[in-house]
Amino acid sequence: MRGAEIGAGTAIAGRVPSGGLLAWIATTDHKRIALRMAAVAFGFFLVGGIFALLIRTELAEPELQLVGRDTYNQLFTMHGSTMIFLVVTPLALALGVYLVPLQVGAADIAGPRAALAGHWMVLAGGLTMYSSFLTDHGAGKAGWTAYYPLSGDSATPGTGMDLWVAGVILVGLGLTLVAACLVATVIRLRAPGMTMLRVPVFSWTMLAAALMAVMTVPVVGVAMALLLADRLGAGIYDSAGGPIAYQHLFWFFGHPAVYIMFFPFLGITAEVVATFSRRRFVGYKPLILALAAFTGLSMSVWAHHMFTTGQVVNKYFSLASTALVVPAGMEYFAIIATMIGGAILLRAPMLFALGFFLQFLIGGLSGVILASPPLDYHAQDSYFVVAHFHYTLFAGSLFAGFAAVYYWFPKFTGVMLRDSLGKLQFVLLLAGTNLTFFPMFLLGYDGMPRRVADYAPDAGFTDLNRLSTLGSYLVAIGVAVFLWNLYVSLRRREPAGDDPWEGHTLEWATSSPPPRYNFRSLPPVTSYAPLLDRRIERSRGGRGSGRGGRR
Amino acid sequence: MEALIDTREEFDDLLGLYLPIGIAVAGIVFALVLFAVLRYRRRGDEMPRQREGLPLAEALYALVLAAIVVALLAATFTTEDRVDRISDHPGLEVDVTAFQWGWRFTYPGEAVTVVGDDRRPPTLVVPTDTTVRFTLESRDVIHSFWIPELRFKKDAFPERENTFDLTFEEEDAVGRCAEFCGLAHGEMTFDVLALAPPDFRDWLRTQRREGEIQHRTET
Repeated sequence: MRGAEIGAGTAIAGRVPSGGLLAWIATTDHKRIALRMAAVAFGFFLVGGIFALLIRTELAEPELQLVGRDTYNQLFTMHGSTMIFLVVTPLALALGVYLVPLQVGAADIAGPRAALAGHWMVLAGGLTMYSSFLTDHGAGKAGWTAYYPLSGDSATPGTGMDLWVAGVILVGLGLTLVAACLVATVIRLRAPGMTMLRVPVFSWTMLAAALMAVMTVPVVGVAMALLLADRLGAGIYDSAGGPIAYQHLFWFFGHPAVYIMFFPFLGITAEVVATFSRRRFVGYKPLILALAAFTGLSMSVWAHHMFTTGQVVNKYFSLASTALVVPAGMEYFAIIATMIGGAILLRAPMLFALGFFLQFLIGGLSGVILASPPLDYHAQDSYFVVAHFHYTLFAGSLFAGFAAVYYWFPKFTGVMLRDSLGKLQFVLLLAGTNLTFFPMFLLGYDGMPRRVADYAPDAGFTDLNRLSTLGSYLVAIGVAVFLWNLYVSLRRREPAGDDPWEGHTLEWATSSPPPRYNFRSLPPVTSYAPLLDRRIERSRGGRGSGRGGRR
Repeated sequence: MEALIDTREEFDDLLGLYLPIGIAVAGIVFALVLFAVLRYRRRGDEMPRQREGLPLAEALYALVLAAIVVALLAATFTTEDRVDRISDHPGLEVDVTAFQWGWRFTYPGEAVTVVGDDRRPPTLVVPTDTTVRFTLESRDVIHSFWIPELRFKKDAFPERENTFDLTFEEEDAVGRCAEFCGLAHGEMTFDVLALAPPDFRDWLRTQRREGEIQHRTET
């Protein structure tokens, strides 16, 4: 097995444009597609972040100062839809497109042209959504959820809203294509010896996320296509049952979408924690089981967004949602058990991974509260919910996203990011994130509704809003430090070598960056941590002691 | 006579179960991570002992989690049964119509209707210590009837009625729309005035008389 040659590369190669602009546009190299997807997602992240800063600045004081109500509604709609459709989901998939083929020892992604098409459709859809800013009525402004009848033509007229809906359809198609390629890669293109129970944790989480995407993103495409038809006069949702039908379709996608934006980041955290603890990931099989349970349950929890509608069976959805505590708890158990007894090195990737781990916990625990209908009757549509999902998506997923960047940047580029700047960025983001989002729990409990541009001076919301706005500026400084780090690290290059972190998985067995078809030869795949196995094997052979052996 | 359901008390009791458990779980996880990071910092070049898993501990742990889930759900379900209960004999009925961007409160059988105007939001006047039956509907988009003081909200849909019971103590409160409904969503508020039952009957009588006068002047 050692040094097994990879034949798949030549089979997939086909005709590849050799150079110039066409090669850049039409590359089928999964690594280049992935880096471009990530770059586009990061660009949208900066724009969506500027919207967030405008929103926070408006909310720093009672009454209206900076923007009008109509502009404010466009800002939070575009902030939300940007972050969900154009940032976190594409970023998760981009990491998968780069890393899954490497982790399973494949020469390329399955269906590279479909993945490429998916990437361009996401970008085209994003630009379509943003083109709505240029229309007379302004951009989409019915919230990222676009509830009907508010999103209908009579309540929100104008081409801008049409473009927003059309953009979401395009993005959805693109994401589905990319996700399908990831599923096929894990199922079909694993290297010799890589059984399903030797697929690394990150690739497993990507598989689960991609499966959910393939099964549920088309549903939001349908919901939006029907909405577009309705806006053009077809009257699809225009009945007594229409508004609630729209919500069912939307959240059947919308809740699994939350886990699509969670799983890959959990996988990143698992890989980083295992590597920086020098430890085989503990409890691999229970974790896979927990992922499977989570994926199954994820499609039976959607209506916990609809407890206050009076039109769903609250108890069923409360039961299914609260039951998620069990698989989620197993995931937490595995990561803690990996650390305890390890040899932990606190570098920037590890700090961001721990940031994800602990902050996502706050998001998850507040989610358990929201899964209880009588508690949700108060919290629903208040700032408590805003705090909850920002703890999962920003304090959670995005922190793990930065962990991924610090961890795999050496693999992507061949150079290291500066660890000291990474730590500075971590501290700024940690302080800023909690200062921004923790006060929102209290604001929601005190009765501040979401999606309002102002509040009364005597409502008692002012101090907490000021704290929150201050926190958002700290976050912005943290992101600026990251940009500076990118610039410095690419300008004065510190070569990384193939395996700067003593990684466990196959991507560290090839050069940095990897060659066009990834591997010249593959080490034997003996478990889900083949490189750790090899390292232990060698240290045993070298020193002749049994220390560090597998159980 | 049925016992009155105080939604605020129900909420506080249930949160009083959820919140301490949540804080305890967060405390345990934070402490374990801190312990791991302090105790197991990398010092030399040694490989730590490896292990595949701890099946027994993990199975027991999963059972504990399942038990917590069952306990939480049991409390949630019993609370929800009380909060969602529709009384057979409400003391008063109020029809609420939400619209862009305001509220209309109608007291059926009393010929009294309250609507706000441009300068001030409407006031929902109710008797204290009485089960008040609300029938909620929207005239246009989806709204949500939220009284934060009562820890309760319910969505208002077009062409579909939602019914619920609330009780009020003697205090002033504000209510607002919680479901984003367009341009003036943030200003879509109402005041709540809970009067002792005799005072409430006086208020109702006055409103009826004023309504009749207004009706006569209009015709």
